[in-house]
This record gives sequence, structure tokens and C-alpha cells, in this order.
Amino acid sequence: MQKNLLEVHNVKKYFPLKKNIFNRNQEFVKAVDGISFFVKEGETLSIVGESGCGKSTTGRVLMKLLEPTEGRIIFEGQDITDLNDDQIRPFRKEFQMIFQDPYASLNPRLTIKEIIEEPLIVHNFSKEKRAERIEGLLEVVGLNKYHSDRYPHEFSGGQRQRIGIARALAVHPKLIIADEPVSALDVSIQSQILNLLKDLQEQYKLTYVFIAHDLSVVEHISDRVGVMYLGRFVELASRDKLFENPLHPYTKALLSAVPIPDPSLKRERIILKGDIPSPANPPLGCTFHTRCPFAQQVCKERVPEFREIEEGRFVACHFAEELDGSLDD
Amino acid sequence: MDNTILKVNNLQTHFTSDSGVVKAVDGVSFKVAKGETLGIVGESGSGKSVTSLSIMGLLKDTSGKIAGGEIFYEGKDLTKANENQMRKIRGNDIAMIFQEPMTSLNPVYKIGRQLEEAIILHLKFSKKQARKRAIEMLTAVGISRPEKIVHEYPHQLSGGMRQRVMISMAMACGPKVLIADEPTTALDVTIQAQILDLMRNLTKLSNTAILLITHDLGVVAEMCDRVVVMYAGRAVEESDVHSIFKNPKHPYTQGLLESIPKIGVRVERLQSIPGNVPIPSNMPEGCKFAPRCKFAMDICWEEEPEFKEVSFQHFSKCWLNEEVSQNAKKFVGSTQC
Repeated sequence: MQKNLLEVHNVKKYFPLKKNIFNRNQEFVKAVDGISFFVKEGETLSIVGESGCGKSTTGRVLMKLLEPTEGRIIFEGQDITDLNDDQIRPFRKEFQMIFQDPYASLNPRLTIKEIIEEPLIVHNFSKEKRAERIEGLLEVVGLNKYHSDRYPHEFSGGQRQRIGIARALAVHPKLIIADEPVSALDVSIQSQILNLLKDLQEQYKLTYVFIAHDLSVVEHISDRVGVMYLGRFVELASRDKLFENPLHPYTKALLSAVPIPDPSLKRERIILKGDIPSPANPPLGCTFHTRCPFAQQVCKERVPEFREIEEGRFVACHFAEELDGSLDD
Repeated sequence: MDNTILKVNNLQTHFTSDSGVVKAVDGVSFKVAKGETLGIVGESGSGKSVTSLSIMGLLKDTSGKIAGGEIFYEGKDLTKANENQMRKIRGNDIAMIFQEPMTSLNPVYKIGRQLEEAIILHLKFSKKQARKRAIEMLTAVGISRPEKIVHEYPHQLSGGMRQRVMISMAMACGPKVLIADEPTTALDVTIQAQILDLMRNLTKLSNTAILLITHDLGVVAEMCDRVVVMYAGRAVEESDVHSIFKNPKHPYTQGLLESIPKIGVRVERLQSIPGNVPIPSNMPEGCKFAPRCKFAMDICWEEEPEFKEVSFQHFSKCWLNEEVSQNAKKFVGSTQC
């Protein structure tokens, strides 16, 4: 049994809205509203959801780039929630991040060598070691040594993402949080990067938290998948269970909405009505009830518990059992 | 074939920049029949958006120019039309929706005014009639309280709502061709499903032809009757949607199809096309795909193949298809093993 590398207990992140001096009731955007999960060593946990569901905020809170409003983050058995900037630094070596936009996440004034070297300097690698490491890293991510003196603008999107990956790998991290790492890339480049991420995971026994909105990419790369809606998990299960038999109505709708590249396939599609409600003013009860095709009275009144309905399978729906397999009939 | 409504013939659109001429579109031909949906697929830089701007005659504010070829709309050559004539055709006969609705809606005018502007201009409606028509159109695209929405500004609407407004605006004058440039790329999947559904129903009702420009092969499979695949400014393959997915002829199309992860299909590794799309200032001689092609032969590096019919209504631009088809099949088969 693998141990848990990362545990997240009831983490919340609220962003305050503009203060009104006459109004004592401060309003908040509840970007992340009480999520709990764990990540086992060596696995890939994906977090999927649509824009505004809080998946990127979750990534940033895990990286401690944002302070959680509430809850605990445990990394390798140690509570890192309340550590200050100095105390967290040695831990930062253990978890690194890959960003979505390879154009925005690399400093345009630094050469590739300097970009990859930066984390190595911060974590006190000797000069000789740094040079050796940079060369090795470039090779690992499929670039050449002669690239090291160039600047980011000289590279294509796919190559830049490789540079971002090299930078993340530089300090031998155990956990990589990848926030939409392939969504800005063209399809033919996307598959190159996905393959690279898989190879690196095997080679360095990496653990990934993979944040994405593209379900076909998520199905390809994940071991387990969590689906978020309005700051909460609605379902979390192994990849096979989630894709073969989704239980939450939102997961079902999300899966059925993905266009499949096969024109001979005609499917029954669940088209959700309306838009995602604002996270500043989420609906009462189950936050999905405004769009849910199966909503009942109880859904408007009571928040469903995020419960384990079979081993390793969590759903936040009052009617998860009844909905099980209901689409197969 | 007299039900062809739009025909593009060997279109070439070039941009002049400091470093020379960039041939963004360099030889693209296709036809769109009445009521048909034609997909144009390609990666960034393949020239698919420039193709659509050329058809709409929207290059005048850029350094781009149509350097060759013809665009026939109902028999009229649009490349020879002047701005006045184009203005009549745009919106009225050919309408366009863009990827990012926020950038194509005017932020300082209310939704109603923007919708009515085109209706008054093209259909010569009175203000009152135009408002009625605007509300009808908004209802048709599934906006629930259209009487209120006409008094709102674009920023008050969500992304999906804005795209609905864009569609209602495009469809307001009953165009015969709708050009949709990545209409759902900026939207979430559940909203994308709504918008695609809407486009399908609306255009079926009015028998509007759609030119759907996208990079998403899933959207193509769902929406299109026929498909043109573009690479480096050229059409490299064209056929009906089933043949493209079942029996792609061009190695680029094959590579593209193999490299996308598919829901419900589990593979350990994805196939991928090595390398990058060539940059226009540094185009390879011969076939533009040769540097990334696993079947590249000597001739591919020297001479560009023609865009030829390889089987009924199935076109491809590849030397492999030139070979006696039997030989080619053997070759493809052996390299794949």
C-alpha cells in the first residue's frame, strides 16, 4: 500500500469582495469551499471542472502560493499549513508547479540556462552541479544543450512547455502540480508533452496533481479523478470507475458533452441548461441543483455530504445510489 | 453541381512584413453546398482563419492581400468586389461569428442596438420592426428574457450568453453562409454542447451553409458533413467526414487523428507527430509536411505534390497517393508495423 504524499483536509479559500463600510456582512467569493482529498505516492490525481470551479485556486493553495482560509495541508506527514515563507522554502523543493501558459510563465529576459538555474541557486546547488544538472535536464525534456543560451521568445509553445517542465524538475521534486499544462498547445504538440510527462513520472517516480478541463486528456493521464463544481468536489473516484460509470449528474453531463472524434457515433447527450452560477452567490442546498436534470426538493434545501459510497469512491449527491447505472437502462 | 453556394479556388493570401512576404494561405480550394457544413481543421498557423477573413473581405486593415485565386459566392467573384458591394454581402449573405464574443461585440452599445443595426441596414426595417426582430432572434437562440437583455451591455452577460447573442446577430438577416471561426473554443464543454446544438438546429431550419473553422476534431466529427484539413497554408486533404476519420489518406491527417486522446479508448502512449509546424519565413522546399512525415521519400523534399482526387470526392496532397495505390498501401502498412 502506497502512503499518502499529500493530504488535504477541508481546505477553503475565500476571496473578499470589495468592502462596504456600511455593510458589516463582508461578502466573499468562495473559490474553494471545503475540499478534502489525498494523493498517494507515484499516482496521478486529476482535478477537472469548468472555468470558475476553483481547480486552479486549489493548485495554488496546495503550492502555498495562496494561504488557505481554513483547513490543513499535510505533506509527507507534516502539517505545512501555517509555515511562513522561510519555513516553507525547504519544502518547496519537494513540490513544483507547471503552468498553463508557456508564454507567460517564463521570464523573457532570462536565457533558458538562467531560467532553469534559478531554482537550483535558491536551493543551494554548487556551481558545477548546476551546470551538469541543466545539461542533463535539457536532454531529459527533449531539448538540446545549444538551446541553453537562447531566450524564451525563440521557442515554440511546445518547446517552452518543455522548458517549464525542466525548471520544475530541476530540484528533484516529489510532487508536481500541473495546471492545464497542455491546453494552450496544438493537438500534435499536446501528445508530445503528455508522453513526456508520462515518461518522466516513470523515470523519477513523480506524483502528479493534474489540473485540467479536457476530459479526454484527463482520462489518458490519470489514476484517479476528482470533479469540481463551484468550489467543491462532486465526485472523486478511480479513473476507470469515473469514466465507465459516473454517478454524479454533473459528471454524467460533463462526460456526455465532450465531442467525440468519431462521426459514426451517435450518442444520447445530456445538455445542461443555463450557466454556472456565480461563486460569490452560490445556490443554497446542492450547488448543482439549478442545472441538474434529476433535482428534487431536498436538493434545494440540504447540501449533500461528500460521502464514500464504496471504497475509494466519493460522491456528493443525495441520489447517487439511485442514479447508479440509470443511463444504461 | 449547381447547389454550390461558395467556391474557393486556389486562394492565395499573402502578408507583407519587414522580413518579406508571408504566404499565410498558399493554394486552398474547396466548395460549400447549400445547407452543408464544411469543417476546416488545422493547427495554429495553418492559415484557416486567414482563409475565412479572405472570404469575408476583412483583410483591408491588415497588411494582407489576396494575391491569387478566386472566391465565388453564387457565381460572383468576391475577390473582385469593391468595398461597397462587399458591405452588402457581409451580414446579409455571408455572416461570421468569432471565437471570442467579447472582442467582437461593441462594449459601449446595448445588445439591442447592436442587433438592430444590422437588421435596419440590410433588411431596411423600421426601428420598431427591428426591435421586434431582435427579440425574436434572441428567443430563437435560447435567451430566456430577451426583452431585458436588449437593454443590457455585453459585459453583463456570461461567455455562453455572449456567444448566443453573436449567433443571433449573425443569423438576423438570414445569411446563406455562416462562417464560424472557432465558435466554441473559449467556452466550457457543457456550454459548448449547448452552442453546437443551437447552431445545428438554427442552420438546419434555415438551410444555411456553415463554414466551421476549428482545431477540435471532436467538434468536426459532430458537426460537419465534409472536412478540409489544412497545413502550412495549404489544404492537404478533403473528403466527407466519415472517410476522413475512417480512412485518412494524408500522413498529417493520420498523425493528427492518432495523436488525440479519445474518451473511452485507453492507450499507454499517444502517437505524436514529431517536430513543430514550420514557420512561414522558413518553409521547407517540396512538401511542407516532409520534415515531420514518417513516410517522407526523396521526392517529398524536392517537389510539392498536387492536390488530387484519390478516390471519389476524396482529395489529398501527398506523393504517397501518387504511387500506384497498391504499392502505397503496402508501404504504409509495413512502416506502421
